[in-house]
Amino acid sequence: MIELLAASIRIATPLALAALGGILSERAGVFAVGLEGMMLAGAFTAMLGASSTGEPVVGILLALLGGGFIGLVVAIVAVRFRANQMVSGLAVNVVALGLTSFLARAILVDGRPISLHLSPLAPLPVPVLSALPVVGPLLFTQPPLTYLTIVGCVIVTFVLNRTQIGLTLRATGENPEAVFASGADPLTVRMLAVVACGAIAGLGGAVLTLQQVGTFTDGLTSGRGYLALAALIVGRWTPWGAAAACLAFGAAEAFELRLQSFGVPVSSYVVQMVPYLIALAVLAGIGPSSKLPAAIGTAGPTNR
Amino acid sequence: MSEMAPDIQSGLQLRARAFRLRRGGRGASIVVALILSGLCAAALITLSGHNPLEAFAAIIQGAVGTRHGIGASLDRATPYLISGLGVALCFRAGIINIGAEGQIAVGGAGTAAAALAVAGAPAPLAIVAALCGGALAGALWAGLAAVIHVSRGVHEVLVTLLLNFVALLLVQQLLAGPLGQIGAGFLQSPLMPRPTWLPRLPGFDVHPGIAIAVALAAALSFVMGRSRFGFALRVLGQSRPAAAYAGFSLPRLTCSAMLLAGALAGLAGGIEVLGIHHRLIGGFSLGFGFKAVTVALLGAMQPLAVIPAALFVGLLETGSLAMQRQIGVPSALVTVIEGLTMLFVLAATATRR
Repeated sequence: MIELLAASIRIATPLALAALGGILSERAGVFAVGLEGMMLAGAFTAMLGASSTGEPVVGILLALLGGGFIGLVVAIVAVRFRANQMVSGLAVNVVALGLTSFLARAILVDGRPISLHLSPLAPLPVPVLSALPVVGPLLFTQPPLTYLTIVGCVIVTFVLNRTQIGLTLRATGENPEAVFASGADPLTVRMLAVVACGAIAGLGGAVLTLQQVGTFTDGLTSGRGYLALAALIVGRWTPWGAAAACLAFGAAEAFELRLQSFGVPVSSYVVQMVPYLIALAVLAGIGPSSKLPAAIGTAGPTNR
Repeated sequence: MSEMAPDIQSGLQLRARAFRLRRGGRGASIVVALILSGLCAAALITLSGHNPLEAFAAIIQGAVGTRHGIGASLDRATPYLISGLGVALCFRAGIINIGAEGQIAVGGAGTAAAALAVAGAPAPLAIVAALCGGALAGALWAGLAAVIHVSRGVHEVLVTLLLNFVALLLVQQLLAGPLGQIGAGFLQSPLMPRPTWLPRLPGFDVHPGIAIAVALAAALSFVMGRSRFGFALRVLGQSRPAAAYAGFSLPRLTCSAMLLAGALAGLAGGIEVLGIHHRLIGGFSLGFGFKAVTVALLGAMQPLAVIPAALFVGLLETGSLAMQRQIGVPSALVTVIEGLTMLFVLAATATRR
């Protein structure tokens, strides 16, 4: 049982980080379809930095930059140039897929493609707390980026709900004209939010390469960015809600693997459909976008 | 539409605004977008230690240098063109349908199921029946998205995006079950009955799909430009309030456009199954739906202009494989070019109002 929960947490961590970034973007009024590309870029740059220097910390910093770069591209095209947010997000995912595959082959060291391998980050037990029964092995014997995810949820929840920055960000997603009238620039707020989204989602990608797989392969994220998008919808655009949704998705996957190893005939394809179906049901259930940030998808005030 | 009262103007959705393009200048922005992404590609090639001119020459040589290259490019362009037409139709109507990816896959499965069901029928009949099965399956899948979108008010991008993943998994499930070849070891159906195989035209080694695609583009161009339905769609794309004021039923128009796009995508998947693989293979259409969006944007949502856009992408992909073989520049470069072109086209056309 504990093993199953631990596996759920492991699977949920990259999703939760990406969803956390996506919340910043969507609460500021920009659809986060580009999460997939941001994760993929982060996964690649993290591995690039970590395997070429041997320092995971370098990888983590580069993941922030790589994801943030993709975020910046979305910000420029969708916010500054006011292009359609959804299609820009898709386009940036295509760019990230192509660019990472290309660079993984084109960056040469001594005439050969650079080696992208590193042994995955080991769990880092928290002293004392990790000795607790049940909670110890679950929450306090995790690899470092998992702790970061939990801290990230706390910080984002606090910033969104309790600070001026968070208020401005949320207002930009609900009523950009009001933000404009109050003297702030909604377009700048949105651009910053999308770049931050990219950096955090990039960190989610880094979890995959640095903490789980230990290598980079083409299209490594394989739809996890879209799954994170589904999770933040299911979690109703709140960090803890999204994290809970990610945990549920992770549990479904972990449970399916477990059942298969016992020879129980479950179709892995049907189990994999579940998150998307839940997201659709939630979207259909809340009806005409009642919980969506009111001004999401719009260009914001044009009379600048 | 700029004379419209400001309150109505401010009520318009961005999507209408983003895709409302002036006729003049559109071609120019797309050419500029292509040049910019070409320059970025050249920079990447240089970065990888190769000569960009040499690489571009290898692409052109590989794509149009041989009859086989031309045939392969046309075969590649076919599904992009057919499904891109549906995407273009929806975009023109202001409906951001990005469900082609799933609709193509489901269409392939529908075609395979129909082809296996009519085993024994004579060739032309069997092909028509199988392709109808694909178009029907694609339309049903798009219809599902349309119903959820229209009845529950869920954003069409989110519905079509989420249903894409369900569709891909559904096809895999079908291949693991009723449609699968027993003992194949991986996800594929048995070979389709021989009469359902699309003939290969002698000389260029190409199946007739491209001719069907071009005919469809011409037909759709006529529908968009000359029919009441096409007019209604264009009004819808320009301004939803205007379409409602003109008395058009928005839900019905939305559903019709989605169904038509779904049928086209399904047909694209079916032609790929009958023309190329002669069986349904898991993931046979991976990424096709996004190429459909690329060619629709590149063709400025004009059915006839989607033809050169799809040919361009088809040639680029065939040529890039030759480039990778000959001078060692990774063919993933094409994916970068496609994505960048989309971004540049989006940025260039959205600001032009």
